[in-house]
Amino acid sequence: MKAIEVDSLTKVYSNGTKAVDDVSFSVEEGEVFGLLGPNGAGKTTAIKMITTLARPTAGLIRVFGIDTQRAPQEVRQMLGFVPQAISVDGDLTGYENLLIFAKLFFVDREERKKRILDALEYFGLADRANELVKNYSGGMMRRLEIAQALVNRPRILFLDEPSIGLDPYSKNQVIQQIQELNKEFGTTILVTTHDMTEADTLCNRLAIMNMGKIAISGAPADLKHSVGGDVLTVKLTGQAAASLPAGLGTVVSSEQGTIKILTDNGERAIPRLTEYLERNGAVVESVSLSRPTLDDVFMKYAKASLQQEGTFREARSARRSIARHAK
Amino acid sequence: MINLQRSVSSALTIAEIEARKIRHDSTELWMRAVQPALWLLVFGEVFNAIRSSSLSIPGYSYIQYIAPGVLAQSVLFVAIFYGITIVWERDVGLLTKLLSTPSPRISVVVGKTLAAGVRGIFQGVMVFALALIIGINLRFDPLDVAGVFITAVLLAMCFASLSMTLASFLKTRDRMMGIGQAITMPLFFASNAIYPVSLMPVWLQYVSKFNPLSYGVDAMRSMLLTGDYSTLPVDIFALLLFTLFFIACASVVLKRLIE
Repeated sequence: MKAIEVDSLTKVYSNGTKAVDDVSFSVEEGEVFGLLGPNGAGKTTAIKMITTLARPTAGLIRVFGIDTQRAPQEVRQMLGFVPQAISVDGDLTGYENLLIFAKLFFVDREERKKRILDALEYFGLADRANELVKNYSGGMMRRLEIAQALVNRPRILFLDEPSIGLDPYSKNQVIQQIQELNKEFGTTILVTTHDMTEADTLCNRLAIMNMGKIAISGAPADLKHSVGGDVLTVKLTGQAAASLPAGLGTVVSSEQGTIKILTDNGERAIPRLTEYLERNGAVVESVSLSRPTLDDVFMKYAKASLQQEGTFREARSARRSIARHAK
Repeated sequence: MINLQRSVSSALTIAEIEARKIRHDSTELWMRAVQPALWLLVFGEVFNAIRSSSLSIPGYSYIQYIAPGVLAQSVLFVAIFYGITIVWERDVGLLTKLLSTPSPRISVVVGKTLAAGVRGIFQGVMVFALALIIGINLRFDPLDVAGVFITAVLLAMCFASLSMTLASFLKTRDRMMGIGQAITMPLFFASNAIYPVSLMPVWLQYVSKFNPLSYGVDAMRSMLLTGDYSTLPVDIFALLLFTLFFIACASVVLKRLIE
């Protein structure tokens, strides 16, 4: 069964901006699906429509087969949502934050307490459960927020930039916990992020949005492959081979003791290539491997609308939201 | 049936958020007692001294006369700023989160207005305490006191939902600050809180007919002061009508805040 089916989704705001323009995609159950793209690409608007927070101008969305416009409350009952800005309530304790959400999701009274304690335990917050959240660190708030989105045992979890504004350590922790969640409970996850390394580790499949449309989608490995294979740069002295045997790769450039070779799988090609070159009378001094990253994919499909200003504003607002809670 | 039960339970949960916050930090609640204290202790005492016969209902001192008005006004001041609260909650993402739960929109609105009601009850307690301390002679009949609290809750719900309706259109905290200032005083002065309607210019008397505050004050005054309940049903009915109307408005337009 498909977790999400989006069919020709369009959103035009009252000021005429077309935030999402005829977008179609689907997410399989149990999958981690990434929605990437520059600021203003329409990711957040798309998520808002899937989570029934905004009404589509046109198009159809089904979440586990249920039409979001026909039965929004039913859809919301199945989902967990972690918005971009940190939005746990600083004036309540960690326990209370989860309690309120358990109640709003109509979790049975008998089960409530157990689920809350489990979630707090799982995210390493049990010992600070009765402290006011405004005294938490940014990373703890983020974890509490994900815990909060889990008290209703959602079948699908929406994470809008879960690691924005976190230090590398907290970021890692959050990513690991998201992965565990997906593996242990089979929770379907839809995540948006600007961090390509994060997207690469987390996502089974992803789509890059640009200017309201999906520019490309697929598995990270395939996408990386589509922007070119691995490049080996070999420094050597002596006789360099002008051509290589089939299967090793092709020479792209060769000058003054440095040759560049394009190949499918760089790591596996290195020993065979070295052996071949040395057998042909060359002395290999060094080999370096560069592989295309999701950054390259992103740049190729999204650079048309990269807006510096937007990036700056977003970063500032994220910082502000953390500062506000930390007070 | 399940839907109604769920709506009520969601509304109570949202009010519970507020109650829990007050339990953690009640400073604001105490600060809110300053204003009614000033009105009673300074304004009330001074005007009491003037003892202009036309200013008071025969048989009552001026300070007795304005005590219910001051209570209603302090509830108005507390409730009218709920629009700012909701804009703030939108800004920090709390509102988006609330709306992403299966709770119906109307529960979110009713829950918030109930929270305002909780604060309204505290204002009532403060004003009663002040009245006892400075010796204002009011009818402290338990049923009347309960009635006054119910009226205070209704008033708070009415103005909180009005404020949230406005917030859905104005959308920023600065504008809500402005509008909060701009409408509280007119509502206050165009009511019977600190002088009888009969002393107003005729046009203002008509305005006061559409002012929920007047009905609230009138209801409280009949229970605290005169014991004459003849206008009470009309007062409560009008107040209920205003409240339901504004709650309906706020529930429909609230989602504008997050779009």
